[in-house]
Amino acid sequence: MKCEEIVGQLPFYNYGEVSSEVEERIESHLDECASCRETLAKHRSFLEVLDQREDTGAAALLTTCRLDLRRQLAAEASRKTRGSWLESLRSFSMFHIPLQVPVGAMALVALGWFGARYTPAKFGGVQAGLTQPMFSNVQSIEPGDSGNVRIAVDEVQRRMVTGSLDEPRIQQLLLDAVREESNPGVRVESIGVLKNSADSEEVRQALIDAVSHDPNAGVRLKALEGLKPYAGDAAVRKALANVLLKDDNAGVRVQAIDLLTAHHDDSIVGVLQDVMQKEDDGYIRTRTRDLLQMMNASVGTY
Amino acid sequence: MHDAAAGTVSAILATPLDDEASLIRTAQKGDQDAFERLVREYDQSVLRLAVNLLRSPDEARDVYQEAFLKVFRNLHLFRFDCSFHTWLYRIVTNVCLDHLRRRKVRKEESTVVETPDGPVDQITRVAEEGAAGNPERQMWNRELSEGIATALEGLTPRERTVFELRHYEGLRLRAIGDILGTTEEAAKNCLFRATQKMRTSLETFV
Repeated sequence: MKCEEIVGQLPFYNYGEVSSEVEERIESHLDECASCRETLAKHRSFLEVLDQREDTGAAALLTTCRLDLRRQLAAEASRKTRGSWLESLRSFSMFHIPLQVPVGAMALVALGWFGARYTPAKFGGVQAGLTQPMFSNVQSIEPGDSGNVRIAVDEVQRRMVTGSLDEPRIQQLLLDAVREESNPGVRVESIGVLKNSADSEEVRQALIDAVSHDPNAGVRLKALEGLKPYAGDAAVRKALANVLLKDDNAGVRVQAIDLLTAHHDDSIVGVLQDVMQKEDDGYIRTRTRDLLQMMNASVGTY
Repeated sequence: MHDAAAGTVSAILATPLDDEASLIRTAQKGDQDAFERLVREYDQSVLRLAVNLLRSPDEARDVYQEAFLKVFRNLHLFRFDCSFHTWLYRIVTNVCLDHLRRRKVRKEESTVVETPDGPVDQITRVAEEGAAGNPERQMWNRELSEGIATALEGLTPRERTVFELRHYEGLRLRAIGDILGTTEEAAKNCLFRATQKMRTSLETFV
């Protein structure tokens, strides 16, 4: 093989994308050709440079993407159900009127039967035969074969999931619970469990999100507690500084300043000076002033 | 009653459906849980590919949603005549290529945004938010990453995809050919052109 051919094959040789026969020919050529060996070394340096590309931070996006997808899938499933319901209605209306009467009556009987069967116990519904708590909603009714009625029922079932915190599925359920909009109690509980796993980047990001965006101050405080061991981490400090400047709850801001000042870091001087400008709470102002003085920084900005 | 339910679910969780084919078949029957498990087998690498190819967290997020929704809607059409990985990546790369081509039409959307601290590359910002460390190293990494990003922007969408899949994702050229609906030879030529262009653009860093 000539040098020109070898040079053309080197990128593929490096990726192991040449046949064993070509590989042998390249290697025997390299043994004898200093110029091609140098070209190979340069190519390898180029590949090393490529490998130094920074991590894109895709991991931090993953939780958000998964949650978005789950919502989209739920919407998709509900659209499908609505579609079949409309189709059922359309086909139902094509029947001759006299047939609709007994079918309608049968449907009402069935609706009553299902309604009673699936009504939650607190409304006095029948629970016998149910293996799990269940809430249901009849979506469509259509006549089936030999006088039966087909009823589409949407069911929401509760199930118990048990497992160790190390299991990814359990951890994911807890992470989803941190973003459960309707129930702050669940969010506090899940953060309480997750905070011991905050060495995982995903968990830490969920805690940062909770501290920054959760509407409930109790949840934000619980998340701050979980971030305590990571108060030296750059992303955590950025979130804490933001909380200190923007959070509307003084208790949360106190906790944030305590965490921020646990690590000596001159980069927070600007944030502390801003706090002196904006803060109304006496304790936080005093604490901020003391800290600025300790850092030999001026209390105000000029 | 709860204990019985807990036992059932624990048993389900404890029975790993490690056989991908059976997981796919279960998902094809409409089991959303199986579908989510399938997604989680692949979604990290899908998102990484989208972020790296598009260099925009927002667009990568859109690609993630669009691609997995397509998978969800079309999973019943998957007939096991290629690997699920190839089928999935065919969808993902097509969505990415659509985004890249649309962007070409819009004359290459820059990932650099204006902030109070001056212009910042969105991807560098995302990366830095998750990293702490030596500022000089960060500066070098930033310059190099921006150099690589600029070099990648000089490639055609197809070259960029082939290069990303081969160099950063470690896929074989044959698999890349299958994913892109072309031959191994065509993928090889594309990689060669991409490598040449990248080397020229990154000369100052080597």
